[in-house]
Amino acid sequence: MILVSLVLLIVPFVFSRSMVSLINEMLIMALAGCALNLMLGYGGMVSFGPAGLYAVGAYATAILLTKYGAPFFVAVLAAPVVAAIVGAIVGWFCVRRSAVYFALLTLAFAQIIWTIIFEWYDFTNGDNGIVSIPIPEVLYVGSNIYYFSLAIVAVCIFVLWRIVNSPFGATLQAIRENPMRTEFIAVPVRRYQLAAFVISSFFLGIAGSLFCVFAGSVFPDYAHWVKSTDMLVVCLLGGIYNFAGPIVGSAVYILISKVISKNTTYWMFFLGIIIVFLVLYMRNGMVGFAAEKISRLRNRLDAGKGEDES
Amino acid sequence: MIFETKHLTKKFGGLTATSDVSLQIGEGELVSIIGPNGAGKTTLFNLLTGHIKPDEGKVYFQGKEITGLPPHTISRMGIGRSFQRLNIFPRLTTFENVQVAVFSAQRKSHQLFTSAKKMVREETETILESVGLLDKRDMKGGLLAHGDQKRLELGIALSVHPSLLLLDEPTQGMSPQETIETTALIQKLVKERGLTLIFVEHDMSVVFGISDNIRVLHQGKVIFSGKPEEVKRNEEVQRIYLGEENK
Amino acid sequence: MTIEALTGQALSGISVGMVLFLIAAGLSIIFGTLKVLNLAHGTIYMVGGFLCYILTSKLAHIPGIFWWALLFAPIAVALIGGVIEVLLLRRIYAQEMLYQYILTFALILIGGDTCRFFFGVGYQTVAVPWPVNGNIALWGLSFPTYNLFLIGCGIVVFLGLSALMRYTSLGSIVRAVTHNRETANALGINVPRVYTGVFMLGSYLAGLAGTLMPPMSVVALGSDMAVIIECFIIVVIGGLGSLPGAFLGAIILGLLNAFGIYIIPKLALAFPFMLMIVILIIRPWGLLGKPE
Repeated sequence: MILVSLVLLIVPFVFSRSMVSLINEMLIMALAGCALNLMLGYGGMVSFGPAGLYAVGAYATAILLTKYGAPFFVAVLAAPVVAAIVGAIVGWFCVRRSAVYFALLTLAFAQIIWTIIFEWYDFTNGDNGIVSIPIPEVLYVGSNIYYFSLAIVAVCIFVLWRIVNSPFGATLQAIRENPMRTEFIAVPVRRYQLAAFVISSFFLGIAGSLFCVFAGSVFPDYAHWVKSTDMLVVCLLGGIYNFAGPIVGSAVYILISKVISKNTTYWMFFLGIIIVFLVLYMRNGMVGFAAEKISRLRNRLDAGKGEDES
Repeated sequence: MIFETKHLTKKFGGLTATSDVSLQIGEGELVSIIGPNGAGKTTLFNLLTGHIKPDEGKVYFQGKEITGLPPHTISRMGIGRSFQRLNIFPRLTTFENVQVAVFSAQRKSHQLFTSAKKMVREETETILESVGLLDKRDMKGGLLAHGDQKRLELGIALSVHPSLLLLDEPTQGMSPQETIETTALIQKLVKERGLTLIFVEHDMSVVFGISDNIRVLHQGKVIFSGKPEEVKRNEEVQRIYLGEENK
Repeated sequence: MTIEALTGQALSGISVGMVLFLIAAGLSIIFGTLKVLNLAHGTIYMVGGFLCYILTSKLAHIPGIFWWALLFAPIAVALIGGVIEVLLLRRIYAQEMLYQYILTFALILIGGDTCRFFFGVGYQTVAVPWPVNGNIALWGLSFPTYNLFLIGCGIVVFLGLSALMRYTSLGSIVRAVTHNRETANALGINVPRVYTGVFMLGSYLAGLAGTLMPPMSVVALGSDMAVIIECFIIVVIGGLGSLPGAFLGAIILGLLNAFGIYIIPKLALAFPFMLMIVILIIRPWGLLGKPE
């Protein structure tokens, strides 16, 4: 962890500007992935619509900055709050159902969010999106915007790490494993699922806000179900049962997308093939795959050690 | 009297799964519910534990009515339960399985920012020891042997300080040796903690071995209730079980 | 609004709905029997559309080419579906919904780019074929004949499929497998083959829809994405796995889309999703589905 952080700190000094921008994107996607994974990997709640909450965060910041001329920090801080509120409303409905129906409900709500953004021209600028968002000039100096993202993402991921390793996180995992059993250790399961949904939405909102700042513009497609699927792939790619999974998944996914799209116009085709390969052969994602290999190696070494000693 | 049901009835479509069941169970009793397959034992259990709501009738626990209350509330009031299938948390370690229950018992489940790793260690270890699983604490629950999983489940159920335990086929799938060990364990734990026990069983050696009282269920109705010797002698019960396989 | 305009709108909405019914029926049957949510179903529809365009444009000199396309394109699509099922889908039946969703999403990516490779990014059109071009006068009002033809097709397919499911031995085999895979297996039914067959049937329907739609609209990339969401909505409203449900759902959606803009224009696009949410919350197995 510490090593990675140190590496990330010196990135702008080592890499080109476009690479730094890429890593910036990876950081934001990593946060979105970790936020989603709280529900997905730790809570066992498959959501088809995380992009909806992500877009709410992005648009909250965008609208506050453009329409209301709000101070920068207010606009950024408001995003997760708005996202969490929306998440609470959406989540309240969604956790009433489980599995397929839960997933379809999240999809429907995300599409409603998309529709509202798309149609409410006066407020959101509709399908034109909001461009030229007034980001404070200081962020465009040097690599400041990278450090801005890095700082916020680092803090958020640290908080998520604490949450996942807390009694709440343990209870959430128990719900994932066996909801009926968890009810019978006196845990109001639905309430905890809603809490996970809201926390997830909170951090998705931050990710959306960060991307708004990074890109300087927002568009309705930030809420589209295809974007949601990107986030799901990021989690799966890295591995949903490991905390680092979405972080690794984000880096790999964005890297691969950029590399492939540079080399061919049919990048979706190759991305599709990679995803097929992933689903068929690496269900636990890259981190899960690595973890499995490491533990198998460790077992073999232990067994070897045992033989030596006896 | 700790537990009572009055005229509990549940129908699924045209099928009456539970029919006018009225039970009274005293504190500290060990009661078994037996009956051929399809007699409605699991449905009765689900009614008692709030997983399904009865069409008619009421359930009382320690004098308070609990009909229709959600399972987590009933659990908090002191009723513990085991399940026939998928009874533990497979991907969590044995230690974590019990720990998460202890969190709930101590009302710490909602804590978001404290580190769970070192919390409630003593209580968790005590419980693991009492069910004989302390040495397997770091194994993933799903990798435990079947008998150990049942014991783990017992441990989980005990963590939330129940005064009444409902066990659904606690020795299912066990070898004769395991059955004896588990039965002894259950007896010991029940006596130590002064629990009341209601359990469903197919294994007659267990039923006759430890029950104070037996209720015989057939087609959703309690057709006989009494002490083990009385049940053994009763002709109707024998008739119902003729042709039924006893484990 | 005049009666003529109202009925015209309604018919137009229903005829689009009928095409959606064909796709949704396939999706529903596939979900009902194979228990897979096939996101790529829209892509199969789109491939059907492209095949229709290719045949009608390259072989335009053959009279009645559209009808030949209508005959052969769906069969070709069904075969493609069969290949996908055998090579890929088979491996994920046992897996959880999330993996199925992502895998079929990957198929959208692959299929979409494959179509782009062969057909490019522009719109393609197919002329309304004789003899169903032009308008028909009914009750003193004039309607596009093709719309009525589509409605007719939808009804015929619905009745045909229902009859197939209920009265033929093939239908009872499919129903047996849908109900209980293990029992059907024990009865000696070759379940994998039934799965392939059902998937091919679903694909055939999607291909049929893909061939029927172009004269009313355009053939273009991205139609798969638009269509799949509409079909999800239909299937949820009608009931996952229910054929009459898909029919009812398609009509409801068609009418909702046709008239939504007159009720609250801004929210019209959201109505279908709102209905979807209402159904999922109060009656998740759909209007005509059965609770599990």
